[in-house]
Amino acid sequence: MTDLGAIDYVWLGVQAVFLGPEAFVLFGIPVSITLLMVAFGLVLGIVVGATPGLGGVIAMAISLPILISVFGFNSDALLPVMGFLIGVMKGSTVGGAVPAILFNTPGTPDAFMTTLDGYPMARSGKARKALKIAHFSSVSGDTFSDIVLIVCAPFLAIMVEAYLDLPEKTALLILSLSFIAAVVGGSAAKGLLSCGLGLLAVYIGSGEDFYPRLSLGTDALSDGIPVTAAVIGILVLGAIFTELEDLWHQARESGRIEVARDEGDQRLHWADIRRILPFVGRSAFIGTAIGALPGIGSTLAATIGYATGKRFYARRKAPDAPEFGEGAPEGIAATEAANSSVSGANLIPVLSLGIPGNTAAVFLILAAESIGGFNPGPSVFKFSTDLNPELVIAFGLFTTMILANLLNWTVGGVFMRSLGVLVRIPKQYLLPVVLLLTLASLYVEETSMSAIWFAFGFGVLGYFMRRFEISPLPFVIAFVLGGRLEDTARQAFSATGGDPFFLLKSPVAAAFVLGAVAIVFLSLRKPKAAQS
Amino acid sequence: MNKFFRFAAVAAAAMTVSTASLAADWSPPGPIKMVIAFAAGGGADTQARLIAEELEARHGWKIIPEQVTGKGGLNAVNTLKDGATDGTVIGMIVTETLGYNMAAAKAGQPTDVTPITTTAGTQMAIVALASKGWKTFGDVIEAARAGEDIRFGVMTGMLGDLAYVTGKENGVDFNIISVRGGKAVMNGLNAGDMDIGFGAGIQAKAVAAGDMVELASARSEPLKASPDAPLLSDFGVSFVNETAFLFAGPPNMDPAARDAIAAAIAEVVTTEGGKANAFITKGFGGPVVISGAELEMAVQKDFDASGALIAAAAE
Repeated sequence: MTDLGAIDYVWLGVQAVFLGPEAFVLFGIPVSITLLMVAFGLVLGIVVGATPGLGGVIAMAISLPILISVFGFNSDALLPVMGFLIGVMKGSTVGGAVPAILFNTPGTPDAFMTTLDGYPMARSGKARKALKIAHFSSVSGDTFSDIVLIVCAPFLAIMVEAYLDLPEKTALLILSLSFIAAVVGGSAAKGLLSCGLGLLAVYIGSGEDFYPRLSLGTDALSDGIPVTAAVIGILVLGAIFTELEDLWHQARESGRIEVARDEGDQRLHWADIRRILPFVGRSAFIGTAIGALPGIGSTLAATIGYATGKRFYARRKAPDAPEFGEGAPEGIAATEAANSSVSGANLIPVLSLGIPGNTAAVFLILAAESIGGFNPGPSVFKFSTDLNPELVIAFGLFTTMILANLLNWTVGGVFMRSLGVLVRIPKQYLLPVVLLLTLASLYVEETSMSAIWFAFGFGVLGYFMRRFEISPLPFVIAFVLGGRLEDTARQAFSATGGDPFFLLKSPVAAAFVLGAVAIVFLSLRKPKAAQS
Repeated sequence: MNKFFRFAAVAAAAMTVSTASLAADWSPPGPIKMVIAFAAGGGADTQARLIAEELEARHGWKIIPEQVTGKGGLNAVNTLKDGATDGTVIGMIVTETLGYNMAAAKAGQPTDVTPITTTAGTQMAIVALASKGWKTFGDVIEAARAGEDIRFGVMTGMLGDLAYVTGKENGVDFNIISVRGGKAVMNGLNAGDMDIGFGAGIQAKAVAAGDMVELASARSEPLKASPDAPLLSDFGVSFVNETAFLFAGPPNMDPAARDAIAAAIAEVVTTEGGKANAFITKGFGGPVVISGAELEMAVQKDFDASGALIAAAAE
């Protein structure tokens, strides 16, 4: 095992996926567990994406603890578990278009723009065609984004390691958090509040000192708050509480759900593809660029992709073609390509810096932390001549992403189009089941009732945050990054010999800090601009 | 304390044979929670998980590893303190947790837990990247005296004090960076965030490959991989770090459970050809097994002696 080159690592990563522990033998060919888990994750992702009220986040939150207890804590578990999560992430992005197009009920905020043209198309009898366009655009955008990730992440990581010292890393974390707080939440002040609460929560009971700080002298708080409990509480329980209350309010307001009958040609022709391709291309580029910045979500990408597509469309559309918003296939293509191309690029900051940009990335980092043996960050991409197992895992992850895309291209579309029936599941039955599953799986991971109480507490917090329209995402990302921010700052302070102005001494760090201040200042002045 | 270890290394094999049968007579009343006081993915964590894996395979016990990190292992001690005494809660810490860390934090006594058995000592060394060009710790001190800022990565409070005292004795001021776990020190060295750092054994692979050098031994005896590296006493430092990895249980632990678990762990770490044994031998200089009253005495002695370093560093 001497003198491993880059190609050897790629090959080892591919082997780790295909030649890992086998699940069963099909026609004499062993099928690896990882392969099976990716496929299973993709199917589950499409199903939850297509079910209104559910989504990739809930599926990941419930399955992660269960998977960890099934696969154990050794590094053999990394690829199957993370492959599964990647499958869910990709599947739910594709599946999210189903209720948006068929029933005008976007399953996720990302899919809202899809309803604008998808539902009119469905009403005019072109539902299957709209779904095919959504699928094609979504998977194209996703694939493009993955290619950028695979090509860029290793180089970016090496650059980070070469150019960023501890003060610069601290400043970069501050910049990322400011960005997330200012941009994600709609209102910068609310985003900062969310971010600040997250930091406050994660600093309970942690720190270098032997005394458990902020614990108010209680035993319950002295070990800190379990990260899974906080994340699941805020993201999942908070959402369930909010949904339950909404249901209670609307009670029986809606009647039957009407589905228009398909009429005419539903096939996706080469001419259709040629028509939407420029829109897919633009949006994929926009989504990838946005995804690569830590902290900006797919909703913003979808919005910008749609707006750009609309402007482009207005200039070149045929006079009799439908406008954007009245059933233009290009509208679906622009939205779906943009929101799907965020997820791959979003892993660039995750794998090269360890900074998550969206909730899917938060769960991937949680998985890596709970299982052990893989620590996202610059050290992952060290091409050492002696075997670096983390790099093999990284290339294994890339392989699972390519696999998930291939599956998405081939069977994903067919499967997705068969799921229209899911919208009929009544939420009043669905939500309690999800609640029970979430709490059970949390207990499986933490094996203590205190984790359940913490999750409930954070669920209530998440509920109020949603009611006051404060985005929970800055909270979660601050919670995940808070420990690193403190450690890096402390280390930078010691490394510079106790210089209190370490953040301003190097040009790069100073530029990052200045950028953070500017972002917050600008978005506080113009809260409307961040919302659009 | 070093004498204990040397004695134990000799006695380990004999003890394993005589107590192995104990493990067969006892079986845990449920799954065993294994508290791990070290960051996931590091050398100590890997050691604990390998031991858990082999215990499961050999005895059919169900073991659930759980990370309880922070405060130099005192968080793990707190978790153990309230655990069930029937052998279903054990934890892996280091002797330093019950010695220096408890004394420095004024947080309890070694008797707050029941020590079960040690598994391995360390190969505690001061390490640097080979590309730095330093051959021994003397070169580092020279560089520091010439005005170069030296960043010194440490992973525990005791090592921080040791680094400080080492600098003080030689008239230099290190920029001491405290991180979580030896893996983080290795990452810091590799990323260029630190110049030198302590490694407890995790450096073995990199040293063998020639990527890193061991500049000095922080133990009372030379390192196995770099026998020519000087000792800290060669630089006027009268303290050493003889930390050993240690399994402990809640106070007043059921003696039958304690003995059975001690025997089972001893068997796992000393059996040649096993994964845990191979890992310990490669990284931490081979298994060191001490248990029972002997271990209790060693731990108490360590605790009582730790005041001297704390005082020296506070001067």
